[in-house]
Amino acid sequence: MTRLLDLGIDRIQNIIMDMAKLSEKSVTTAIESYEKGASTKKVIFEWSEQLRVLQDEVGDLAIELIARYQPVATDLRFIRSCMEIAYGFSRFGRYAYDIVDVLETMGSIANCDKSAVLEMSCTVREMIHTSVQALQSKDKNAAEKLYQMDDTVDALYRKYLREAITPYEKTDKRSFDPRCYISALLILRYLERISDHACYIGDSVHYIVTGTSSPRR
Amino acid sequence: MTHEAIDSGIENIGVRPPTADLQHRYKVSIRNLNAWFGMKQALKNISLDIKKNAATAIIGPSGCGKTTLIRCLNRMHEMTPGATAKGSVILDNIDIYDKKVDPVVIKRRIGMVFQKPNPFPTMSIYDNVAAGLKLNGIKDKRLIGDVVRESLEGAALWEEVKNELSKPGLSLSGGQQQRLCIARALAMHPEVILMDEPTSALDPIASSKIEELIHSLKKDLTIITVTHNMQQAARVSDLTAFMYLGELVEYGTTKQIFENPQKDLTERYISGKFG
Amino acid sequence: MAEQNERSSETFANDGSGSRRHRVEIRQMMDKQSIRRRLFDKIATGVAMACVIAAIIPLGSILVEVVKNGVGALSLEFLTQPPGAIGSGRGGIGPAIQGTLIVIALASLIGAPVGVLAGIYLSEFAGSGKFPYAVRFLNDVLTGLPSIVVGIVAFVVVVLTIGSFSVWAGAFALSIIMIPIVVRVTEETLKIVPNSIREAGYSLGIPKWKVVVFIVLTSAKSGVLTGIVLALSRIAGETAPLIMTILGTSLFFTGFTDPVDALPLRIWRLASQPYESAHEFGWGAALILILLVLAMSVGLRILAYKRGFRTGI
Repeated sequence: MTRLLDLGIDRIQNIIMDMAKLSEKSVTTAIESYEKGASTKKVIFEWSEQLRVLQDEVGDLAIELIARYQPVATDLRFIRSCMEIAYGFSRFGRYAYDIVDVLETMGSIANCDKSAVLEMSCTVREMIHTSVQALQSKDKNAAEKLYQMDDTVDALYRKYLREAITPYEKTDKRSFDPRCYISALLILRYLERISDHACYIGDSVHYIVTGTSSPRR
Repeated sequence: MTHEAIDSGIENIGVRPPTADLQHRYKVSIRNLNAWFGMKQALKNISLDIKKNAATAIIGPSGCGKTTLIRCLNRMHEMTPGATAKGSVILDNIDIYDKKVDPVVIKRRIGMVFQKPNPFPTMSIYDNVAAGLKLNGIKDKRLIGDVVRESLEGAALWEEVKNELSKPGLSLSGGQQQRLCIARALAMHPEVILMDEPTSALDPIASSKIEELIHSLKKDLTIITVTHNMQQAARVSDLTAFMYLGELVEYGTTKQIFENPQKDLTERYISGKFG
Repeated sequence: MAEQNERSSETFANDGSGSRRHRVEIRQMMDKQSIRRRLFDKIATGVAMACVIAAIIPLGSILVEVVKNGVGALSLEFLTQPPGAIGSGRGGIGPAIQGTLIVIALASLIGAPVGVLAGIYLSEFAGSGKFPYAVRFLNDVLTGLPSIVVGIVAFVVVVLTIGSFSVWAGAFALSIIMIPIVVRVTEETLKIVPNSIREAGYSLGIPKWKVVVFIVLTSAKSGVLTGIVLALSRIAGETAPLIMTILGTSLFFTGFTDPVDALPLRIWRLASQPYESAHEFGWGAALILILLVLAMSVGLRILAYKRGFRTGI
């Protein structure tokens, strides 16, 4: 016998996995357009809107399931976490849009040094991937891994920030372009936020599996 | 589950015991209780501490022994032909299974409410509540009158019946009859009230009234309720015990049992995957 | 995924058509059945009605006959005076009415308490051992005992001991006929009282005997009273044991150790006389006996109804 609740949980899970794919694609595309200079603002805007709609849908469905089936234990923890995870994925979409928005505003930054952003984006993309994997395989240990990666991201961000406020000491005057620093700083900031949200998703998975909040938080 | 763990859970939900003295926190302590129907063992070595001034729910699938367990707590179980029980149930500091203890006297301290409302059919509303006192030899009319009123008020029935106390108890609706039965139990001024699926014969509105009553009664009483309605257990109880096949599987705060049960069996039962 | 969905919906469709086929089949079978069933219904109802009428006709004709023949004899003299000289058509059945009332009252004073208590014992205290089984068995045997045998026993035990026919002997014999009926009905009625009522009593810390007397017995009061009325009606019409115990006389009550008259005895005497007036008196006495039984039954019922839900505590 399938429990009626399971039908709803399956649906919520499907939406969440769709959101995971879409948000991962948005962030990847945004970073690629930073790297290659292509304009993707329109498509990423659409995706982030879609993510927002899906997040609302998850919220509605979760409330409906709670009202109709009074889920308990793992079911309840899963549904509660789905709302948080859906918020996380919709934030991924929003930050992806913010990244391309920065690119649009700044104009050409083709000559800037993009190494810092690209270095951090590697870690962040891996974090998104890890969080989605953790969600799929209900891996309660992913949270720990994610927090380690988050530490790296934070360190990178602080390091670049320090560099940015003391540009004259280190860099060549000729190549100084405020657009490079501002855009890189903003994008690093967004990537740092994404990494935080990836950690929260790891926390939620930990909570679903163990019933306790992850020790880090 | 250790005492400390249960206590900390209780404190989280605001039912702080009055004293720190561990002995006084538990109204009833069940130790190695076994019960049989003829040759069939219905309870297997149950040990459980019931918190004072709290509602404890016992849940489990049909035939798991939950009703047998509470019927052992006022020695009602052994009144069924062929039924026996062994072990100890300590109420405050006396073992009610001690040979020197009179089972009749124990029932005056531990009240009981049954699955189906069962007011005495030939008695008026007033006499139903007064019966316990009168038949136990109390003759003071003024005292009886006061207690009847208090008990009906305690059972949230006074306002509905105060003008028809001489009508038969059976003329009330099902939900009112059940509250009459609660008033009848309250009139004995028990310290513990056992409730055996008290709302299973009632409609949702009447059920929620009983649930509100349980919540208000635990100020002065210790309540142990058996229910097959898990949402009800989740709503009314502070602690929940899950039983299966005559054994105690898991016992903890209601929040913990329903949010994060430790045993897989509990999880599967409360989330409706079996039973 | 999509493929799987399709396949599962196909399975579903198959199931659906299968159950549809069964549905049609079941409907057809049931329709065929229902014609037979309706016919059978009518026949069964008809037979039952015929049986009811067959049972009522003799009963009704007896009543009609008794009233028709007996009503002419009724008068104040008939009800209050002792019988006159044989064949004179004078006097009445006063001593018989008085005697019947006295003997029945005395018999039920002995029989009702003993019967009710024994019934309580069997229902509430005996359980299901060998002794209660034996008691129940003997009780059933006693119910079927011919009343003349009871009369003989009473004759030997009481009449021969006291040395004369007496009210006591009659009451003794009738109470022995009464007891097994009361025991049986009491036990059965108490068993109908739901166990939850007893448990409610026990759960208030009320001792068992009080639960039985003040809660269980009061709940079953009307049933127990019915049993007593049933037994009273039965003994009110007994003749055989009375011949051997109270003998019958033309005088009013003179003492518990003396003979006394009774309605059934008087009816029997009057019927065996060769005079028309005696026969009319006999019908009159029969009518009075029937009215007496009816009055007792109605009276007790009114009593039970009035005290419907008084506690009795």
